[in-house]
Amino acid sequence: MSESAIITTNNVNLWYHEKQALQSVSIKIPRNRVTALIGPSGCGKSTLLRCFNRLNDLIDHVKCTGEITLDDENIYAPSTDVVTLRKKVGMVFQKPNPFPKSIYENVAYGPRVHGIRDKAELDRIVEQSLRHAAIWDEVKERLNDSALGLSGGQQQRLCIARTLAVEPEVILMDEPCSALDPIATAKIENLIERLKEDYTVIIVTHNMQQAARVSDYTGFMYLGRLIECGKTGQIFEHPKEELTENYITGRFG
Amino acid sequence: MAEKFHTELNNLRADTLEMAHLGRFMLRTAVDALIRQDAELAASVVAQKEEIHQMEVRLEEHCYHLIALNQPMAKDMRVIVCTLKVITASLRIGRYGKVIANIVKEISDKPHIANLMSIPHMADLVIDMVDDAVAAYESDNLRLIDDFSSRDDTIDALRHSIFREGISYMMEDPKNISRCTHYIMVARYLERCADHACKIAENVQYMETGERVEIH
Repeated sequence: MSESAIITTNNVNLWYHEKQALQSVSIKIPRNRVTALIGPSGCGKSTLLRCFNRLNDLIDHVKCTGEITLDDENIYAPSTDVVTLRKKVGMVFQKPNPFPKSIYENVAYGPRVHGIRDKAELDRIVEQSLRHAAIWDEVKERLNDSALGLSGGQQQRLCIARTLAVEPEVILMDEPCSALDPIATAKIENLIERLKEDYTVIIVTHNMQQAARVSDYTGFMYLGRLIECGKTGQIFEHPKEELTENYITGRFG
Repeated sequence: MAEKFHTELNNLRADTLEMAHLGRFMLRTAVDALIRQDAELAASVVAQKEEIHQMEVRLEEHCYHLIALNQPMAKDMRVIVCTLKVITASLRIGRYGKVIANIVKEISDKPHIANLMSIPHMADLVIDMVDDAVAAYESDNLRLIDDFSSRDDTIDALRHSIFREGISYMMEDPKNISRCTHYIMVARYLERCADHACKIAENVQYMETGERVEIH
């Protein structure tokens, strides 16, 4: 990848207890691009994703070696403030997980935690975030309603708005559409396309057609290793590695 | 599901080979009918026009169906893309056979001029190219097609030579004009068949390696 990288991993290994989940993973994530990570269950793609905002730190008996840099700074350095890191690297999960609060409060929560108290400023952030997440028109009349009353697809876009509210640089998405119907999925995919203008998106997906549709770069992982990473067109048209070929043509996995 | 798709893909390739063999057979038979001035044999080629057309329609539909239902990727996608090209090339080769067969009817009343010049030799070389291109599609063996560029140059040179020779005979005697014009046209059709063999070869290369090559 010749484009400028926002995240770079160098020889990353990770163990859960004795089990090694990542083996010598070195990847560059290009800035303002969508990178998809694909691979069979248990190949380490979600583990790698969670390394990028140190979410694996929350799990007991995890050991990680190697280097991961964000904007050329080692995110595993002792001086790294994990709260700041997670502000810069937001995350959207498989199942929409809005707080049991109003739509407004869901989005305002992050900026408040980071010290913004001014109501007008919060209003502006909430509206802008909901607009960027392509859900503003659907919820602008009912911002004080419970977020739990939204449909699954709307809840997922609300969660994206909640992530955007703290102005991240990178958005991690772990199977963001697997709990959604095709129409809600299409809305999220359209949104991902627009998000890359301002953010870097890394998406983990089991759906190879989705990876092919939304991403600029694709990495294929297998048994904890990054087997191949390249432009999405190349990976899906003529992958270099036989393992990648066999996986994307459904011969295993 | 992947297993079912791959079985269907293998069936598609087998059916496409059958069509390619029919196209090749029509061309070979038409050239034989021309050499032997056998109008009956030529008529049998013309009668196969509908059969090869029906095969084209059925196989193309099969390709579209596999794409729509399976969204193939990587080599699976390339196999279908290549197959679509093989179908088109095979139809064209068969149709050139039919066109040559139609010429046989027109010129079977008198002996050939100069034993058909180099047409029989040229036809053998073209049909060898078709055979090798189709065999490469069947076996994934790229060595069969690695010299196609120079073989195509030979075919182009032969067409040019037949053209010049035909002109000479026409200048010698205007009664030869009609017959030699047909010979020149046959050489042109054979050259086009070699081009279609090259198209198949280019697509087999893409199918196997993902790389686009152009055979000049």
